Amino acid sequence: MHLFLSYTIIGLVTGAVYGIAASGLVLTYTTSGIFNFAQGALAMLGAYGYWQFRYGWNWPAPVALILVILVLAPLLGALLYLGIMRGLRNTAEVTKIVVTVSVMLGIIALAQWIWSPTTPRNDIPFFGVAAKFKFLGVYVTDHEVIALGAAVLIGLGMRYLFQRTRTGVAMRAVVDNPALLELNGGRPNRLAAISWALGGMLAVLAGILVTPISGGGLDVNALTLLVLDAIAAAMFGRLRSLPRTFVGAIVLGLASSYVLAYFPTTWSWASNFRISLPMISLFVVLLVLPQDRLRGAVLLRTRERFKVPSLRSAGSWALVLVAVVLLLEQIMTTEAISALTVGMAFAIIALSLTLLTGYAGEINLAPVSLGAIATIFVFHLGLSGIGLHARITIGGILIGVAAAAVIGGLIALPALRLRGLYLALATLAFGVFVSDMIIADVNPHILPIFHTHFSIFTNGALNIPKVKVGPLDLAAPKAFLTTVTIVFVIIGIGLIALRHSGYGRRLAAMKDSPAASATLGQNLVKLKLSVFVLSAAIAGLGGILVSSASITVNANSYIIYISLTLVMLTVVGGIGNVAGALIGGVLAGVGFQAITSTFQNIYSLHGGPWNFVANLTLVAPAAIGVSIGRNPSGSVGQIVAGYAPLWRAKPVLAGGILLEVAAYLLVVTKFMSNWWFVLATTIIALGLPLVGRLLMPGAFAPPPATGSPPTSSPAPVVEAPASLSGAAAAGGSVRMGFEGGPNNGPA
Amino acid sequence: MALLEASGISVSFGGNQVLDQVSLSVDAGTVTGLIGPNGAGKTTLFNVITGLLDPKGGRVILDGRDVTKAGPAVRARRGLSRTYQQLELFTSLSVRDNVRVAGEIRNAWGRRFRINVKSETDRVMGLLGLEDVADREVGELPTARARIIEVARALMTKPRVLLLDEPASGQTESETADFGRLLSQLVKEDELAICLVEHDVSLVMGVCATIHVLDYGQIIATGPPEQIRLEPAVIDAYLGSTEGVG
Repeated sequence: MHLFLSYTIIGLVTGAVYGIAASGLVLTYTTSGIFNFAQGALAMLGAYGYWQFRYGWNWPAPVALILVILVLAPLLGALLYLGIMRGLRNTAEVTKIVVTVSVMLGIIALAQWIWSPTTPRNDIPFFGVAAKFKFLGVYVTDHEVIALGAAVLIGLGMRYLFQRTRTGVAMRAVVDNPALLELNGGRPNRLAAISWALGGMLAVLAGILVTPISGGGLDVNALTLLVLDAIAAAMFGRLRSLPRTFVGAIVLGLASSYVLAYFPTTWSWASNFRISLPMISLFVVLLVLPQDRLRGAVLLRTRERFKVPSLRSAGSWALVLVAVVLLLEQIMTTEAISALTVGMAFAIIALSLTLLTGYAGEINLAPVSLGAIATIFVFHLGLSGIGLHARITIGGILIGVAAAAVIGGLIALPALRLRGLYLALATLAFGVFVSDMIIADVNPHILPIFHTHFSIFTNGALNIPKVKVGPLDLAAPKAFLTTVTIVFVIIGIGLIALRHSGYGRRLAAMKDSPAASATLGQNLVKLKLSVFVLSAAIAGLGGILVSSASITVNANSYIIYISLTLVMLTVVGGIGNVAGALIGGVLAGVGFQAITSTFQNIYSLHGGPWNFVANLTLVAPAAIGVSIGRNPSGSVGQIVAGYAPLWRAKPVLAGGILLEVAAYLLVVTKFMSNWWFVLATTIIALGLPLVGRLLMPGAFAPPPATGSPPTSSPAPVVEAPASLSGAAAAGGSVRMGFEGGPNNGPA
Repeated sequence: MALLEASGISVSFGGNQVLDQVSLSVDAGTVTGLIGPNGAGKTTLFNVITGLLDPKGGRVILDGRDVTKAGPAVRARRGLSRTYQQLELFTSLSVRDNVRVAGEIRNAWGRRFRINVKSETDRVMGLLGLEDVADREVGELPTARARIIEVARALMTKPRVLLLDEPASGQTESETADFGRLLSQLVKEDELAICLVEHDVSLVMGVCATIHVLDYGQIIATGPPEQIRLEPAVIDAYLGSTEGVG
């Protein structure tokens, strides 16, 4: 009884914190229509901010609390809305999700920049560890009482706000019909900004309260994932009802507390299971949620526009890409080749998003986790030979791909009846579940029926060898890079062919108007399931190739942030284009790490401001991700628009190609180093449109407007390269891959 | 036996009774009109019939089968098709592909439903005079034309019951007259059952065999055009006001 009571109190307190975070999530979602994936990141920032004032600078606790919770947090929330989220009207759900995910990644990078992760930091409970009293025979700390009290007050306060105040009633109206509210004199933007300010406060409060309860150590990643507990709680209220959200939070808090209390400690997976409880409960809730009303196309056009290339032009670009990679292999170091192989394999995972999100409008936030599933199956079932002679068999690849497809389908199925957001949430939960439960299964345990020792992720690191297909052994780095590139090209062309088929048109129809598709007789669940399974198979194949190119994979290879970064950069590249997958995949796989480590190397050699620049490049991807709200169609379209006039300025184009060939020959003949080549390529790539404009202004004059779509005015030429300038050298060279110039990975 | 029969349909949104015990039947080979002022509940009734909205009460019988619990796709397979007053075109597809994909959806129903999509697309595009805009983006077209694409798309699944939600709004007088002739031709040749929501009185009176008048969620009159024209309640609620009669 004693045990039960004390764990009940712990559970209630944990639930209270989940409830506070979740109510902020529900509030912002219902008033602005934007689901804030950065809720946990805000909590994390708040906890660190409080630590800085309270313990870093030794301010008195009340001052630090008031400053952080009542001043900085609402300010940050309101700024996020006014600066970023407000611009997301008329964008697809994917864009909205990617923007808040980018904010989350940006806050993480920022926090790691300001507060070095290697220094341990601790928050102490309010009034110290000793501040506790006895209640029915168990100790309760003052901090726990404060947390519970705060949750109760917030619950009652929200109720009062929504039932009794003008602002609250207007907030409820804004959910139903913002346009109508505006007509009646309400101001939806102001209301949304207020709700984001409140949401920021609630997130920060939760972050400050939760840290001492969960051990006291501040941890960027763990705090950021508080958003998952909040999501799981909010699911109980269908992301709308606040009372049910609080009930859900308490249920989750108690459940995780009782698992801690009553599961035998000999079960090695019990603690993993406890951490995974929110993810598991999210799936259970998904299963019982009633079907949503079908959404129609609210607008005649959303702002996202993608042109589907013809198979013929796709084929020519494919040949160019393969030729460029073949040429580059000749001058790159072995390390650079391996790095580019990883990037190219990531681009294959990104292709799964082109199909799923770009063509079908559905979302998967954990594509890399499907790659992890495929990798695990390959490791256990798909290898032949041992040691240096170990190889992945073709059968192994098939098993891995099939496993990713089947498991992906099972994960997606409960969410497919519902809105796209639920699939995003389900896949996010799946991704974290894979990290916490499957990849965390490192210690061998005895299988019940087979009586053998087995662990899923043996010893925490899997060595994945290269592939061998019949007589074709891909152990040599160049052969492997060429093969991965060809696989990318084949899948890419396959996807474009698919988009031109009846199946592809049915996907587009479903994406544009689910309601019209359904009333024409399209079984939406079946179609979504088929496309999700297909995309999971592609992600699985890409994942196997990533693992193989990386040689060893461990828990860090599959943290959820890798998937999120990939999704973000693929959307930035252009989610509807195969070329966008190439940009996103290569940047996420190797691009940004290469740039960051380049600046870090320069700093360690020369000092100066270069460490600052290196940190800046850590934040850059997220900053670019946030910018997607301004340009939701991604960068490929802009780049093409910027370079297209060069076709009419043939002499300039030829000159550029000649220069590039000359630079390449200088490298081959060892007169020039690879770095100068990267620089020359970048200059040629960025300079060509400018030179063309100077020399042949006629070719760059805007063509007489004939039937150009009114909303998608082509971007100014100079803006195309500028849009990726954060990517510096590698960004430039990656882009070259589809513009006819030689490509270069990080050397 | 009517091909489509909705009986006792009730819907309320948050305490607001939008449809109250509405019944309506549509026979094969005829155009049935559904008229009423804006906000009367016409589109809501279409949403219930096509399965986009679950009613609080009532039944929908399609070709003798109760489909009240069935989803929209199942009803489409049983021969139901519709257009939308608030356009629901596929904006990333060209005009021709908008029409074509509907046939491709039908072909995905199963082997016995299979049609030749290409020739059927050509036929329907010709029937509705859409050849000149076949390769245009749907978002570029004026609304009146876009509504015709909706009709073409709805015809591609070879429906037996077709619900048209203000298909002729925005059309010129002569276009409306042509459209009326087309509807008469469709019901005669293909034995279609059409339910037409339209504000254009001349079109409705010209092609409909029966007209239902909906006002504030209730059917206030049912009968042939000449009778509806004289019904005092109808004139009061709808025809009497010049608004929307245009």
